[in-house]
Amino acid sequence: MKTFEFSNLHMVIEWFIKLRWIACAGVFLTLLVFSTLIGINLPYKVLFSANFILACANFSYYLYLMKIKRKVLTDREKKSFLHIQIISDYIILLTLVYFTGYLENPLIFYLIFHIMLTSFLFSEKKLIIYTALTVFIIIGIALLQLKKILPYYPLSPQGDSCGYFDRILIRTGGITSVLIISAYLISSIKDRIDYKGKLCEVELNRYKSLDKVKSNFILQVTHELRGPLAAVMGYHEILLKGLTGEISPKSKDILIKANRRTDNLLTMIGEMIDFAYMKSEKEILCEEKRLSMHDLISENISLIRDPAQKKGIDITFNCSKNITVHANRDLMNMILGNLLTNSVKYSKRGGSVSLACSVKKDEILLIVSDEGIGIKDDELEKIFEEFYRTRTARSLEKDGTGLGLAIVQRAVNSLHGRIQVFSQLNKGTEFHIYLPLMEKHKEAADGRKIDIDN
Amino acid sequence: MAEKLILIIDDDEDIIEMVTLLLENEGYKISSAYNVERGIEMIREEKPDLVLLDIMFPEKKTRGFEAAAQIKELHSDLPIFAFTAINREYSFDFSKEEIQADEFINKPVATEKLLELMKKYI
Repeated sequence: MKTFEFSNLHMVIEWFIKLRWIACAGVFLTLLVFSTLIGINLPYKVLFSANFILACANFSYYLYLMKIKRKVLTDREKKSFLHIQIISDYIILLTLVYFTGYLENPLIFYLIFHIMLTSFLFSEKKLIIYTALTVFIIIGIALLQLKKILPYYPLSPQGDSCGYFDRILIRTGGITSVLIISAYLISSIKDRIDYKGKLCEVELNRYKSLDKVKSNFILQVTHELRGPLAAVMGYHEILLKGLTGEISPKSKDILIKANRRTDNLLTMIGEMIDFAYMKSEKEILCEEKRLSMHDLISENISLIRDPAQKKGIDITFNCSKNITVHANRDLMNMILGNLLTNSVKYSKRGGSVSLACSVKKDEILLIVSDEGIGIKDDELEKIFEEFYRTRTARSLEKDGTGLGLAIVQRAVNSLHGRIQVFSQLNKGTEFHIYLPLMEKHKEAADGRKIDIDN
Repeated sequence: MAEKLILIIDDDEDIIEMVTLLLENEGYKISSAYNVERGIEMIREEKPDLVLLDIMFPEKKTRGFEAAAQIKELHSDLPIFAFTAINREYSFDFSKEEIQADEFINKPVATEKLLELMKKYI
């Protein structure tokens, strides 16, 4: 039995404990006011003791919760913990009400709240058991009071002035019918909500599988495109080197252009493959290892060295050799590769690009900065969107997918990190990437899945 | 100095032709095989100095990375350069460390880099 609203039982337990503290304080204050200011004769000793027991019980639940927080409990174990709490709540509430006029006390209607929570949390069968037991106990106590076997503690100073015993059956009927009706209403409302939730889930799964088919298709197509393009580039090179005979300078010029456009196309396909992979949630993305930041950075710089040299751009980096990151190598390469490529691509001739990596508290801070064309303020938010390219970027470089930064952001999210960007038009851009130094525990890994889905 | 013999194992004829042209120009002798079985036969017959192996082979029987392991088992000191279509680990069903190749060469082949690396081994 799954109730989607309360699927996280841990939070429900925490919430219960919080509510119970409030109830505890409320009862205590009410008792205090009644015992000192209003002169009603009630068995205060018993009442304060019940209040104290409630507080003690809640404190022990709290301690138990703290203890199990580190362990992974099954839903079954969590549910039995909840059952214990709810049963103790029923008993304490009934005790408090019994000693304060019982059916005369309007607070007996608080049992409805208990029924509500029970019906939201447990299956219909258990709800019926809880409701039946409560109704049975209420009627039982009332009958025993009527037969004078159990004493009656009146709520008014005048004792039985309101004709308690005259109306005891009506009151019992009232409270029990209210309880049964609310149990019925709430469980049918819950059924409707569950039904709608299930419909949403089916739709969501359908959508997810469609998205997966789409991503796999892109992946397949882009893979098939790379092979022929690689061959085309090889042939260009053979012609350019004159291995098939001298070519005219004009032809050479045209071949160089053809080669450059082919190269751009390959880069774009590479980005699309990366992006499709990020979306297709391959298991392999979860494979994480300890990686040296220094090695990762220098590997990625060596890949970009040629185009950087052609533009006369100087790349410097500063990273201590002992910084390591626990991450997936592909994701780290996507982040570093795309940021470096952008920095070089959108820098003017003779500019400089610098990387710095340091440890800040429990995070690794990676800064990639350039003296390039920069980004306008109103475009800053959009740069991480899929396929978005700024106006200045488009005017400088015709070719580009606009996927690079979308990939970077997804990769950073997958590694539980965050990314910041600072930029000034025509002055340069700086990206700050924070990555966790330690391995994230399992809960965080579950959270990541949601990030990717969104 | 005798001519060095390079064996190319790739299912793409165009890639073989292209790499052959580029390497012959640099003074290497080239032979080629279209599949792994033939490649292993040729290693025995011709005793090449270096193998260029496409590890993204679509062949069902012997996958590229298995081929690398087979070759290393028979000739442990024969250098193997692995060709890959993209330079991401996720494009393999296994991790890079499992592949017994000495170097990874990304397609499209950067000739200068390939030559530089080859000089290190032979």
